[in-house]
Amino acid sequence: MYKRTTDENLKRILFLGAGETDFGMQGENDAAIYQVLPILKSQGYRLFLVDDNPYSMALESSEAETIVSTLTVQNIKSIIKEKQIDAVFPGFAGIRGLRLWQQIISEWREEDGARPVGLGMPDSTVELLNDSAALFERLESAGLSMPRATIVRNQAEANELLRDLELPLLVRAHNPAAGTTRKIVRRLDDFEDAIDQVMSQSLTGEVVISKAINGLKEISILVLRDSNGNCMQVGATEDMDPVGIHTADSLSVAPVLTISDQVLQEMRSQAFLVANILNIQGPVHVQLALNEKTNQLYIIKVSPYLDNLTNRMALMTGYPVMLVAAQLAAGRVLQDVELPDSYHAKTAMMEPVMDHIVVKLPVFSFGDLKAAGVEVNRQLNSIQKSVGSALGFGRTFIEAMEKAIRAAHFNNRSFSPKYMKNVSDDELIQQLIHPHDNRVLLLVEALRRGYEVDELAELTKIDEFYFYQLKQLLKIESQIVDGEASQELLSVAKQSGLSDGLLARFWQSDFQSIRAMAKQSGVVPTYKALEPSAGEFPENAHQFFATFEEENESEPVSDKSILLVGAGAFRMGDGAAAGYVTSVVLSELRKLGYKTVIMNNNAADASLLPHLSDKQYLEPLEVSDVMAVVDQEHPEAIVVAGNRRKLIEALVALGQKVIVLPKEKHQPAGPESDESEFALNIFYDGEAAYPLVLTQHQEGEVRLIDQDVFDADLSGIKLPYSGVYQLIWREKRTDWPKEVALPNFAVDTWLRPMPFGEIAFLSKILQLSLIRLVVRSWKGGLDGSDLEALVAHMPALRGSDFAMVSDRTDFNLHLKPDSPIDSTRFEMGAKMIRLQEN
Amino acid sequence: MERHLILEDGTVFSGQGFGAPATTFGEIIFDTATSGYQETITNPIYDGQMIVFAMPVVGADGIHAEAYESINPKIRGMIVHDLAEVSTNRQRRMNLDRFLKQHNIPGLYQVDTRKLIRHLRETGSQKATIVDVVDDHARDQLQATVLTNKQVQNTATTKAYSNPGRGFHIVVIDFGLKNGILRVLGDYDANVTVLPYTTSVDEVLTLDPDGIILSTGPGNPEDLPESVLTLIRVLQSKVPMLGIGLGHELFALANNSELTTLPAEYHGMNHPIQEIISQEMIYARQGRGYVVDPDALDTKKLFVTHRDMVDNSIQGLRHRDFPAFSVQFFPDGAPGPLEAKRVFADFFETVVDYVQKNN
Amino acid sequence: MVNKIVLDQASMQRALTRITYEILEHNKGGQNLILVGVKTRGEYLAHRIADRLEQLEGVKIPVMAIDISDYRDDRLSNHTKLGLDEDDRVNIIDKNIVLVDDVLFTGRTTRAALDALIQIGRPKTISLAVLIDRGHRELPIRADFVGKNIPTAQNEKIQVRVKEIDDVDEVEIVH
Repeated sequence: MYKRTTDENLKRILFLGAGETDFGMQGENDAAIYQVLPILKSQGYRLFLVDDNPYSMALESSEAETIVSTLTVQNIKSIIKEKQIDAVFPGFAGIRGLRLWQQIISEWREEDGARPVGLGMPDSTVELLNDSAALFERLESAGLSMPRATIVRNQAEANELLRDLELPLLVRAHNPAAGTTRKIVRRLDDFEDAIDQVMSQSLTGEVVISKAINGLKEISILVLRDSNGNCMQVGATEDMDPVGIHTADSLSVAPVLTISDQVLQEMRSQAFLVANILNIQGPVHVQLALNEKTNQLYIIKVSPYLDNLTNRMALMTGYPVMLVAAQLAAGRVLQDVELPDSYHAKTAMMEPVMDHIVVKLPVFSFGDLKAAGVEVNRQLNSIQKSVGSALGFGRTFIEAMEKAIRAAHFNNRSFSPKYMKNVSDDELIQQLIHPHDNRVLLLVEALRRGYEVDELAELTKIDEFYFYQLKQLLKIESQIVDGEASQELLSVAKQSGLSDGLLARFWQSDFQSIRAMAKQSGVVPTYKALEPSAGEFPENAHQFFATFEEENESEPVSDKSILLVGAGAFRMGDGAAAGYVTSVVLSELRKLGYKTVIMNNNAADASLLPHLSDKQYLEPLEVSDVMAVVDQEHPEAIVVAGNRRKLIEALVALGQKVIVLPKEKHQPAGPESDESEFALNIFYDGEAAYPLVLTQHQEGEVRLIDQDVFDADLSGIKLPYSGVYQLIWREKRTDWPKEVALPNFAVDTWLRPMPFGEIAFLSKILQLSLIRLVVRSWKGGLDGSDLEALVAHMPALRGSDFAMVSDRTDFNLHLKPDSPIDSTRFEMGAKMIRLQEN
Repeated sequence: MERHLILEDGTVFSGQGFGAPATTFGEIIFDTATSGYQETITNPIYDGQMIVFAMPVVGADGIHAEAYESINPKIRGMIVHDLAEVSTNRQRRMNLDRFLKQHNIPGLYQVDTRKLIRHLRETGSQKATIVDVVDDHARDQLQATVLTNKQVQNTATTKAYSNPGRGFHIVVIDFGLKNGILRVLGDYDANVTVLPYTTSVDEVLTLDPDGIILSTGPGNPEDLPESVLTLIRVLQSKVPMLGIGLGHELFALANNSELTTLPAEYHGMNHPIQEIISQEMIYARQGRGYVVDPDALDTKKLFVTHRDMVDNSIQGLRHRDFPAFSVQFFPDGAPGPLEAKRVFADFFETVVDYVQKNN
Repeated sequence: MVNKIVLDQASMQRALTRITYEILEHNKGGQNLILVGVKTRGEYLAHRIADRLEQLEGVKIPVMAIDISDYRDDRLSNHTKLGLDEDDRVNIIDKNIVLVDDVLFTGRTTRAALDALIQIGRPKTISLAVLIDRGHRELPIRADFVGKNIPTAQNEKIQVRVKEIDDVDEVEIVH
C-alpha cells in the first residue's frame, strides 16, 4: 500500500472516445480527453485515441496518435492488437465508454492474446456495474440504502413488505396488460385498494412495490479516489427540483445551501463508501435523495466515469478535476499528482471550497421545435429533455440565478412582470405540480399572484429557501420598475445580476445612457478570481466572474489581446461543433502570438479549458457583459460568431473592432427525403474564393464526392467576411453519384456560411484545418506561402470513404414529438462512419 | 442599517448590520468551510473572536436544535457576504438573525468578504470592532481595547457533571468543551464525567476512569496554570488519554514541547491530513491559532502521528511510553468530515485493551 | 446463514496501525526487534507492521516467516522440516521477537511457532500479536497485541483475507 501503483510496464494507453454528442453528452468527454493528453504524454505514456465524433477536438490533438473509427468492439479489438495497447482508458468516454469496455471484456477470446488492463476500475467493478441486482446487494450489504423494488404476488406478501418499508410507497403492475398505473400510497388506508387495483392490471397477478422517493431532495456529490483508497470530495450540488425531475432538467446550485452540515457529511461518507466498494481510481458521481423529515438518505445513481457533472465541477470550483482524475486512473496517488505551475503546489490534495455561488440552468429547445411545427411533450420527468445548460456565477443566489437566466437565453425577459401574465390560474397550479421548462418563471409568477411560501413549498417540494430568494427578487423588481434611475437602484440591480439592456427597458432609456450612468456613478463590475481555496492562498488564477463589490482582482492580460465571445449553452442544431470551432480559433490565435480572452458559460465546451486561452471570463454573453470585459481588457478585436447579429451591431456601434466568424442564425433545414443537396465548399480569404471539395447531403447523411472542382470559376464572389462557405443547389435524386454536372454557380446556387459541423467534419477528412486557414486570413489576408500551400493541396482534396451521419438521436425517447424532427436543423450530434460498414 | 468593521491596522469594511446592534471588540479570523455555520458560531473555541465566512451565502439552513455546539455562543461578531433569511427550525421560531440578536452578537452582511479574507491572509488575525460610525473615537477605542486572555475560564465548566451511559467510564477535562465530543461519546454509550480543569489528580483517579479526554477550548494554552500540565503528566501514565485541539496543545506542553504560530490561522475543513503510519489521508475540521513547534518537540517523549499535508503542521502526537495520544484537528464531525471520527474508534479500542489488561 | 464481514479494509488497516503503536510502546523505538510472521497470512501482516514502523521511525525491522504446518501437535507429521525459511534466518539470540499471526483460536498454532523458534535460538523475549482473537483457547496462551476481539461459536470459521494474495483486505465469519 505504500508503493506507487503506477505500473512500469504500462506504456501504451488507448483512450476510448465518447462518440457523437447526444442528450446528456454535450462534448464534455471530448474536452476532457483533449485536456489530459498533454500531461499524460509528458509523464512518458504513448497515447492513442479512437473516436467517430466529427466535432472532436481531441481527434486533432498532436499529443496522441488519433484514429477515426466507428466505436465497435471489433474495431477497438483490432486497434488494440495493431497498436500493441497495454491499457484502455474507458472512463473518460462516460457511460458509453464503460459499456463498450464491458463488451470488449466479455467478447475477448483466448486467441485475441493478452487483454490490456482497464484503467480507472478493476474488471470486477466493470462486471458489477453491469449487474444491477448484484450492485444493489453489494451496496446494501455495506449499509447503504437504495430505493428497492420488490415483486409480491398477494396481499399477505404485500402486507409483510409494508412492515419493512415506510410510507409512501410506489405500487405498480408487473407485466401489465396495457398501460400501467403507478400509484403512490401515502396513507395506510389506501394500501389494500391500491394493491388490488394494480394486481388486476398485471397479466401475471404480480405487483411491484418500491419506496416512493419522488419529491425528496436530490444532491449530487463528486468524489475522487486514488489507488491507495484515499478519497476527496470535489464538490456537491443540490437540485432545486425534487427527485422525479431529471437532474439535467432542474436548476441546480453549488455549493449546497439548504442542507445542514451533519447531513452533508453523512452524504459525503456514503459517497466515499461507494467509491471504496467499487475500487475506483478517478471520479465517481454519486446521486442521493434526502428525506428531510427523517434524514434518511438513498443512493439513487452511481456514475463511476466522467459525466457532465465532472466538467461542471471543474469549472465551478477552479479545481482541475480532469487533470487529477486522469493521473489517478493511470495509477498515481493524490499526493503525487502533477499539475501545471499555475496551481498552488497542494491544489490536487485540497478539497476545493467555493466562495461564490454557481447556478446551472437547463436549456430546452421546445420553442424552436414549436416554431418549426413540431410539438413535443414539455412536462418534465425522469427522462432528460434539456439539450444543454448554462452557468451563472455570482456572490449571491439571486445574482447567480439571474446571470444563469441571461446566459441560457441571452436576455432576462423572465424579469419582466408581463412575461407570464397569460398563464391562467388553473394552468399555473397544474404546472406547479407538473413542471414545465419555464419552471423558475412560473414560481416567480406564483409568488406575484400571492401564493404563500409554505403553500408553494408543499405543492412543488422545493425548499422554502428558494421562495424566499424569489420573493426578494420580486421586491427588487418592483423597486426598479417603480423607481427612477438612480445610483442606488442601479447598484441594487447590478448586484442582482441584471443587464444594462434590461434596465434601459425598465427606465425607458437606452443601453448607452445606462452604461454611461453606471460608469459615472462607479457601479462597475469587480471581477473575482475563481480559484479552489476561497481566498486562503495567493492564486495565479485565469478564471474570473463579475460581481459588484469593492475589489477587482482581474488585471488586463496584455495590451494586444483578442477577445472571443463563446457560443454559450449547447443548443440543437449547433451541435458541439460550436465549441470545436471556438477552441480551434483560440488555439490558432495563440500560435499566431496573440494573448486570448474567452467569455463563455457552458461547462461542456472545450473553449473554456484553461490551457487554451490566457484568461477565461465565466459570464453571460449579452452586450452589457461583453462591454464590461472590453472595458477591463481593452482587446484589439472581438471575435463573434455571425449568428449573434444584434451583439455584432451593438459592438460595432460602440466603436469596437469586430471580427465575424461567418455563421447562419439557425442551422439550415436539411433536404427532403426525396432530394439531395449538393454543395461546393469554398474558402474565401477576404479577396478571392478558392474551391475545396464537393459534398452531397441527403436526409441525415453527408458524403464527399470524388470529383475535381479546383478549376471551378468563382471569380464573381465577393463577401463581407473571410471564412468558409458553401454554394448550394438541390436535385430530386436519392442516389450517391460518383460525379455530378456542375451548375452555373453565379445563377443556380445560393451561398451560405459552411455550418460549423461540416467545418469540423471536412477538416478531419481533408486533413486541412479550415478554421486555422480562416483565422490566419483575418490578419491582412493569408501570407503568400499559406495560399500557395492551399492551392498546391487542392488536387488532393478528394472524396473519402467516410460519411457523416446525424440521424441517430433517439428523439422519441426524450421528447415524444408529434411529427418527425429534421435531424439537420435540430441536430444533437453526428458521427463519422466508414461507408462499407454502413 | 449601514455598519462598519474597523481593523486594528486601520482598514475599514462596510456592510449592513444584522443580529444585535451592539458594538463589540474581538480578534478577527476567517473560515473557509462551506457548511456548518451554526456549529462554528456556537463552538466555544471561538470565544472572543469575530468570524468572516468565505461561504458567500450564510443562513439558508436556519438554526437547528441538533447543531448547537454550546448553548451560548461566545463569538463577538459574524461577517458574511449574503444573509439568507429563512426560518427552518420546526417551530419556525429561529433564524440566524434572531439567534444573534438573542445573544447580543452583531453581524455584518453585504461585505466584500473575499477582499477582507485576502487582506487577513496577509496581515494575520488582528483586533477588530463592529461599529455604527467610523470616527476617531471608534478607532481610539479599538486601539485601547485589550482582549481578554481568560477565554478558558470564561467557557469551561466550574462544576463537575455527568452524562451517564452504560459503557466505559470516560472523564473529560473541560477547557471549553464542544457538544460534538459528548455526542460521539454518547454514540459509544460511554459513561461520561465532565470535570473542571482545576480538578486534582486524586479526585480524577478516585473516579476510576477507563479513559481521559482533554477537551477542546479557546485561547492560548500557555495562559493556563502549570497545575494543568502536572495533572496531564500524572494521568497519561495511568489511564489511556486523548487530547483534542487545545487538549492536544496542552498534551504537548506537558511533555516538554513548545508551541508556535503560523503566519495565518486556519479555520476550515479542506486540508488533507496524513496519518503517517498508514500514509492514509483524511480531511477534518480544523480551527487553530497555535500549533506544536516541530523544532521544539521532545522526541524522546512524543512522536508525530499526523501532519497537515498543506502547511506541514503537526496534527497528531503520541506518547512513546503510554497509551496517550492527541490530535490538533476536531475529530467529532460537528461540523466536519466524519472520517475523522476514527480517532475516537482508536481511543475506544485503546480503552478496551487497557480495561482487559487491568482486570 | 449468511457469511458476515466483521472487518472491512479500513478497520483492518486501523487494527494493524494500533498493533504497531502498541508494539512501539513496549519496544522503545523498535530497537532489537524482529517480526516473525506465521505463514501464510501472518507473514503479510508482519510485513505490513514493519512497513508502518518504517514510516514512523525510519528504521527497517527484520521480518521472518515461519511455516508451522509441520509443527502442529494435533496433526500427524514427521517433525523433520524446520519451519523457518533458510534465507530468512537471522540470529534471534537476545532479540525481542514479536510473533504475528492472523487469528488466535485454540493456541496450538502459537505453541507450534514457539517450539520452532526456540529450536533455532534463545530470544530475549517473545510476544504475540494477532489480528483477530476469537476465543476458545485450549492452551495457556494470551496475545500481547490484539487487533480485534471477535467472540465466535466453535463451529464458525474466521476467514482472514489479505490484499497480497486474496485481492482484498477483510475478515469474514463463515458458517
